[in-house]
Amino acid sequence: MTYARRALTVAWKDLVVERRSKETLNALLFFSLALLFVFQFALGPDRERLAAVLPGLLWLGFILSGVLGLGRAFLVERENDCWEALLLTPGDKSAIYLGKLAGSLVLMAVVETLVLALFVLFFNVDLGPALPGLALVIGLGTVGIAAVGTLFAAMTAQVRARELLFPVLLLPVLVPVLLGTVKATEALLLGEPLASVAHWLKLLVAADVVYLAIGLLTFDFILEG
Amino acid sequence: MTTLLGWLAGLGLVAGLVMGFGVAPREVTQGNVQRIMYLHVPAVWVAYLTFTVGFAASIAYLAGRRPGADRLAHAACEVGTVFLGVNIATGAIWGKPTWGTWWTWDARLTSVAVVFVMFLAYLLLRGAIEDRERGARYGAVLSIVAALNIPLVHFSVYWWRTLHQPPSLLKPGSSTMPRVILTALLVNFAAQALLGAYFVARRARLLAAEEEALA
Amino acid sequence: MPDNWTFVAAAYALAALVFGGYWLRLGRIDRELAAVRTEREAVRTDRASRSQQPSKTGHPRPEPASRPPLQP
Repeated sequence: MTYARRALTVAWKDLVVERRSKETLNALLFFSLALLFVFQFALGPDRERLAAVLPGLLWLGFILSGVLGLGRAFLVERENDCWEALLLTPGDKSAIYLGKLAGSLVLMAVVETLVLALFVLFFNVDLGPALPGLALVIGLGTVGIAAVGTLFAAMTAQVRARELLFPVLLLPVLVPVLLGTVKATEALLLGEPLASVAHWLKLLVAADVVYLAIGLLTFDFILEG
Repeated sequence: MTTLLGWLAGLGLVAGLVMGFGVAPREVTQGNVQRIMYLHVPAVWVAYLTFTVGFAASIAYLAGRRPGADRLAHAACEVGTVFLGVNIATGAIWGKPTWGTWWTWDARLTSVAVVFVMFLAYLLLRGAIEDRERGARYGAVLSIVAALNIPLVHFSVYWWRTLHQPPSLLKPGSSTMPRVILTALLVNFAAQALLGAYFVARRARLLAAEEEALA
Repeated sequence: MPDNWTFVAAAYALAALVFGGYWLRLGRIDRELAAVRTEREAVRTDRASRSQQPSKTGHPRPEPASRPPLQP
């Protein structure tokens, strides 16, 4: 089996499992909805105050959903005693990393699209001309979140207190991604052109490259046992 | 060797104190509270130095699987975290009289705080894994991620704080530093570096002894 | 600007506490490990010395290598 085939097989398996059970997707959607309400109640009805913190809230929602969803990335293998099967996979195990990453990206994309739609509805945001730029920022940010998240999910899969350890590991590392995406989203929602946030985009691209490279190079070491 | 380092560190610290309080003059703008800088600034340099050592040792471990490399990486990351903690705490104590507040989300404090939490998480992970070999492998990967993330954290936080915002805070340490202050700073850096090296050496040895004891 | 010597003292005291505390922690780990080591040594020598004495019950020893060879 070629490398690409192996990666695609892993991704396809995850997506098929998810499509059948819809466990994670449903939970994440309801979680995002609940977050929306919590944000609203925590910040009060002041329209302007909400508008000012909207980019931050949006990315808080994305990152928290990401932490929940990615934390379960290897749950299927763990619960069904398939972890050893992963360890015994022949060849370059980074194909599994890519496959898992791809599956997570699809899942997160679905959740993020729906969350964005809910935000537009609830907080009366006008996306309009900002949408293409926003899509780019969201894409870059999500790749970063998923790249580190998949690696850390594998790391914490066999560790005790994994539900606590995973967010504690992930959130500090994701600070640059959080800052970059929030500032870029803020600027774009204010109507500024994409060029004005070029430095943030470059940072996000750099972060994505670094995280993907580390993930691909070190995943073999994680899946040794 | 370790004890020698310890004694040298002790001497260095005394020298540092002499330089910081005896030789260095009272600073013009801030007054004597500026002397905290001789503690605060070298601490972060030593911390980042040890994190770099940890990064190199982690790569060496993944490449050669020598337990000594892992023990060095583990010790280095632990000691670095201690020094970073000192940096943050002394920074806050410095900030109160100079900026009027214990904490401010200025670029330097914030980025150091983020790095601190990253390496605290490293220590948590090492503590949560009982198997020595797995702990070494996972720790190595995590310390590589954390070390490579440091420049990303610094840039993102710096841009977050300084773009579209005039620098309104008193910058600790002016751009043209008087020679004697710079010298005092460097002496204190050497002293803290010796202390850091002593801690790392001793911690690594204790890690080896721990492994033996559990064997 | 006033001198704020209390803050200077507080900063140096805190650093001394943290570094000193870490140094003491290293010392404590050292002592604990030394205790474990001496305990191990004591058990080992105790076991070794016991195997030289004749068995009280006359039953065969668990470590046959330490027994004197059987007399024909």
